Amino acid sequence: MNKPLFAIAVALGIASVAAVHAQAPAAVSRAPAINDAQIANIVYTADQIDITAAKQALKKSRNEDVRAFAKEMVRDHAAVNAQALTLVKKLDVTPENNPTSESLSKGAAAELKKLAVLKGAAYDKAYVDNEVAYHKTVNAALSGTLIPAAQNAQLKSLLETGLKLFQEHQMHAEHLARQLH
Amino acid sequence: MFRTMILIASLALAGGSLPASAATKAAQHATAPAHVVHVIVIDKMQYGPMPTDVHAGDIIEWVNHDIFEHSATARDGRFDVDLKPGATVRMTTVAGTTAFFCKFHPGMTGTLVVK
Ligand SMILES: [Cu+2]
Repeated sequence: MNKPLFAIAVALGIASVAAVHAQAPAAVSRAPAINDAQIANIVYTADQIDITAAKQALKKSRNEDVRAFAKEMVRDHAAVNAQALTLVKKLDVTPENNPTSESLSKGAAAELKKLAVLKGAAYDKAYVDNEVAYHKTVNAALSGTLIPAAQNAQLKSLLETGLKLFQEHQMHAEHLARQLH
Repeated sequence: MFRTMILIASLALAGGSLPASAATKAAQHATAPAHVVHVIVIDKMQYGPMPTDVHAGDIIEWVNHDIFEHSATARDGRFDVDLKPGATVRMTTVAGTTAFFCKFHPGMTGTLVVK
């Protein structure tokens, strides 16, 4: 994969969040498709990030509702990733690391560190607030960039089901956040 | 779903794995009226079409085609069926209209009407 395409992939990742507000038509027409191998990698990375955060929550939180939410995150995101891996094998594509997944990982590592030092109710609130924000970002990327770009029908279908799932997670997190405030 | 789809009373209790000949026999010898099995499929984060013409005592077979765990949980508490990925779970109906949802993904909803 060449450098310019990488750069555009990053732009796409960021644009997807901004797309909710406004986007220059020029940026849309210029946007080439991010490839399936990169999409698979981004989705896998995004899932792993949420699983890692949930595992941290299961170590730190004593709030039953927060723990139930975290268990659901581990279970559902692991299921998506198992499916993604099966699909990647079947399609014989090698997931490609790319700037979008790299920046996702970087951001997540920083967030984990921030959360690590919090305790009790402050931790619960911060974890859940971050889950709301994180699912919003991932859902915007899925609907704005990844789903439209996916070429393989099975990958597209997995992403679409994933979007429905993560929208449920976002709602669940938002509900939990209201409870904790 | 058609009422003729599966017609059994005791077969359902036996776990549905009897050979066809045994099933026929069981149906013939059943003294209670045959209860129909209605299938509700869950796929891609939603409940499939609701069966019509469901009568009290009929069986609902929940089939989870998703890779995610779901549930069919009645708002009034009359049933709460846990559905692991790929699971098939049966329950016997009672008369009434019941709104239900998934405990894990509450945006998933449905209404079951039993006469
Ligand atoms: Cu569900």
